Amino acid sequence: MNDVAILAASVNASMTTAEQFLFWIVAPIVVLAAGALLISKRAVVTACSVMVTMVGLAFLYVGLDAPFLGVVQVVVYTGAIMMLFVFVLMLVGVDISDSFVETIRGQRWIGVMLGAGLLAVLVAAALRATLPTFKGPDNFNLNLLDRYEAGWSEASAAYQTVSEYSNPTGVATILFRDYPFTLVVTGCLLIIAAMGAVVLTHRDRLTKSIRQGDLAALRIKHGVQVTPPPSPGVYARHNAADVPAVDPDGRIIETSVASVLRMRGQMARLTGVAQDLLPGDVPPAHRAIGAPELPEVPDGAPAAGDGSEPDSPPPAEPEGGEAK
Amino acid sequence: MSSASDAFLSLDWGRLAPVLIVLGAAVAGVLVEAFVPRKARRPVQIILSLLAVVAAGLVTLMMALDPDKRAVPISLSSAQSLTLDPMAMYLQLAVCASALLGLLVIADRTVQGDDAFTPQAASVPGSEYEDQARRAGLVQTDVYPLVLFATGGMLLFPAARDLLTMFVALEVLSLPLYLLSGLARHRRLLSQEASLKYFLLGATASAFFLFGCAWVYGATGQLTLTGIGLQTGQHLGMDPILLVGVILICVGLLFKVGAVPFHSWTPDVYQGAPTPITGFMAACTKIAAFGALLRVLYSMVPTLEWDITPALWTVAILTMVVGTVVGVVQKDIKRMLAYSAIAHAGFILTGVVTFTSEGLTGSLFYLFTYGLATVGGFGVIALIREVDAEGHMRGEATSLDQWRGLGRRSPVLASVFAIFLLTFAGIPLTSGFVGKFAVFAAAFGEGAWALGLVGLACSAVAAFFYFRVIVVMFFAGEPAEPARGGLGVGVRTQGLTQVAITVALIATLVLGIVPGWFLDFTGDLSLLVVP
Amino acid sequence: MSVTAYLVLACVLFAIGGTTVLVRRNSIVVFMGIELMLNAANLAFLAFSRMWGTLDGQLAAFFVMVVAAAEVVVGLAIIVSLFRTRRTVSVDDESLLRH
Repeated sequence: MNDVAILAASVNASMTTAEQFLFWIVAPIVVLAAGALLISKRAVVTACSVMVTMVGLAFLYVGLDAPFLGVVQVVVYTGAIMMLFVFVLMLVGVDISDSFVETIRGQRWIGVMLGAGLLAVLVAAALRATLPTFKGPDNFNLNLLDRYEAGWSEASAAYQTVSEYSNPTGVATILFRDYPFTLVVTGCLLIIAAMGAVVLTHRDRLTKSIRQGDLAALRIKHGVQVTPPPSPGVYARHNAADVPAVDPDGRIIETSVASVLRMRGQMARLTGVAQDLLPGDVPPAHRAIGAPELPEVPDGAPAAGDGSEPDSPPPAEPEGGEAK
Repeated sequence: MSSASDAFLSLDWGRLAPVLIVLGAAVAGVLVEAFVPRKARRPVQIILSLLAVVAAGLVTLMMALDPDKRAVPISLSSAQSLTLDPMAMYLQLAVCASALLGLLVIADRTVQGDDAFTPQAASVPGSEYEDQARRAGLVQTDVYPLVLFATGGMLLFPAARDLLTMFVALEVLSLPLYLLSGLARHRRLLSQEASLKYFLLGATASAFFLFGCAWVYGATGQLTLTGIGLQTGQHLGMDPILLVGVILICVGLLFKVGAVPFHSWTPDVYQGAPTPITGFMAACTKIAAFGALLRVLYSMVPTLEWDITPALWTVAILTMVVGTVVGVVQKDIKRMLAYSAIAHAGFILTGVVTFTSEGLTGSLFYLFTYGLATVGGFGVIALIREVDAEGHMRGEATSLDQWRGLGRRSPVLASVFAIFLLTFAGIPLTSGFVGKFAVFAAAFGEGAWALGLVGLACSAVAAFFYFRVIVVMFFAGEPAEPARGGLGVGVRTQGLTQVAITVALIATLVLGIVPGWFLDFTGDLSLLVVP
Repeated sequence: MSVTAYLVLACVLFAIGGTTVLVRRNSIVVFMGIELMLNAANLAFLAFSRMWGTLDGQLAAFFVMVVAAAEVVVGLAIIVSLFRTRRTVSVDDESLLRH
């Protein structure tokens, strides 16, 4: 038919210089990033290189007069899909690397050869065909379906004039005019995806969950400390997590530092922290009201982490008994 | 030219009804999962799914019998994504029938209340939590909406009007199957592995299919199949592009069908997936995928400048040979049936690639009967279980050793399975024989001697391994050493599987003994496609 | 010439993605290769869309993006579920299924 000849010969713009510039800068970046996906051993590097590829492709899409799709590529592909990949990589281990030991001998080379063969066939076909050149940016029209229904020759004359729709509007028109049912089915696809994720990862709770009330009742029943232990650190001096709190009599409250640090011997010594809080130096005015006279205590604070029990404090103190 | 706002109004809702019923029921199933209390979920889901598939089948049947609808396959609105010519309706009916039987097998459970699916898919196999879930009697009822979604995709796939809808339908039918393959109750590690393998290979095949669609679009400027068919006759200098595109599309579709060299997923996935899902998948995916393959081949290939039929013949021959030869050495019954499925795909492909209406007739007949027999066969396998020392039912007994003497222990099941095996082998008086005869007659009639001879040879060899199973079941003596896992025993269930098996058996025998009416019917259909 | 340039780029990306699927042993990286193949198809669709001057190709690319998103969700759910069981994402360790 001569309509194709019309297509081929129609007035259009070949790739402008700006577009060539864009292509020849972005395309090697994209190919190199894809090569990094193939070659690099660390999974995070592959994820980042794929992101570079996607963004590069978004540039190319914009250059191909598909700005809507360029934005969707960045938002959906790079922003959602690659983020999902990165999350899963975080779950399974960021620093995993492939073992390149082959289970089947020579599999790597066979794979590379098959890939190279595929590339050769595809590129040969692409180069062998004679393709018409690009239309100019203003020449997008609605799809060829209209032409078949309106009669080919009439439509093709109108076809070469200025396009009727800008990019998002045009895509939307075709989407809702010609493919509404496909859109409905794609919606079902998204439902399947959501359901699948829930099925594979959601666990129902089978045992009764223990709440705060239950915990408090258990503690009272067993006679252990009901209230939380005091926080670490000394008021207005240090709030580090390894500095023990000091009771009004100048003694260290061991339970204020996390047991892990105590067991590791990482509880800070009070001698280095607050000299004037050593036992015996507590001014009388700072002692708790009604507290009995302090017995003599030796110089120096107790050694860190030796687990020495604090003396049973006076009854006025709120922290009664041993914490769990 | 209708504007966008009129598009929804101009949709031919009647034609879309079967697909919409099934997809709508699937969405309703999701809502049931969310809102219905746990005790009531299972019965509600089962009833909903069965009703949906039955309704879809009845609507399709009504449309098929309505002469007005048959005459106008493509609605005039450009918004119609379906081409419902008689062949599409026939394939949709075949999918509905197999899906119905498959659903009956899926919904069944033993009298102790164990169904075929893991109680909680998110539990780690072998963990304490999984035991708790099993004792608590949890049931994964999400299976039913997923099966319905897959069925919806399978109804859409052979009836798609353009490549884009075909791609979306391919994904809609595949994604639930990837998920469902991982949900087996016993042997969960195998099942999860099968799911991952199916997913990775299936996604790759979809990518090939899509790339082919891009190239075909590039060569013709069309996405609709009729448009492409009209354009392929033009020599635009872009024929290399079209050729590559068609080949890539065929690669994707041949994967779904299970043809060599894209068959490697079939044995592993059939073995690992829960047995009811294997039956459903084996039957319905093949029907849907062959439908799409038929559409693509008949619209694009005949007018190509290059002749790719020798390549297609090679694929058919290789498929038959590999399926038969490797199937002979299998010791696991599910794997054996998987390789036999590959061989059957080869036989059906033989009928398709002759590009004659007789071949197409044979293939369509074969597809329908093979689908029903497959669901029946896997239904029987789902009933033969291992029993441990305390008498608890465990997983399926799939090793061939465990089937020794089944004829004595469960005579009914063994006989039924024997009849299904005879169908697969193509013995006269079963529907398998009629299908094979039609396909090979078409091949010889067309002059495709290689295809026909290889087919006959493979049938003979395959008959050997089917007969071996029958011998093991009925005539085997005591083995030298006891089978691992103990001998398989037919388990008592709530009865749905037995219903499905009975229907499949009746269909197999009826279509084997009096096939004429059905052959005429499919003959009429194929004449519409290949004049 | 210019369409050919984009088409060749799409072929290169597709082949690299395909090789990744064949060669790499980490299932997440294999899946990224599949995504690369889908992107190559998108690029081809858009290049051809501009060549023909119709928006069908752009629409196809749009649908592909949506479908790819759904596929990624399902695929990563399967991989995560397998990781919970096996504590590895290597494709090689799947050796229970053997011929």
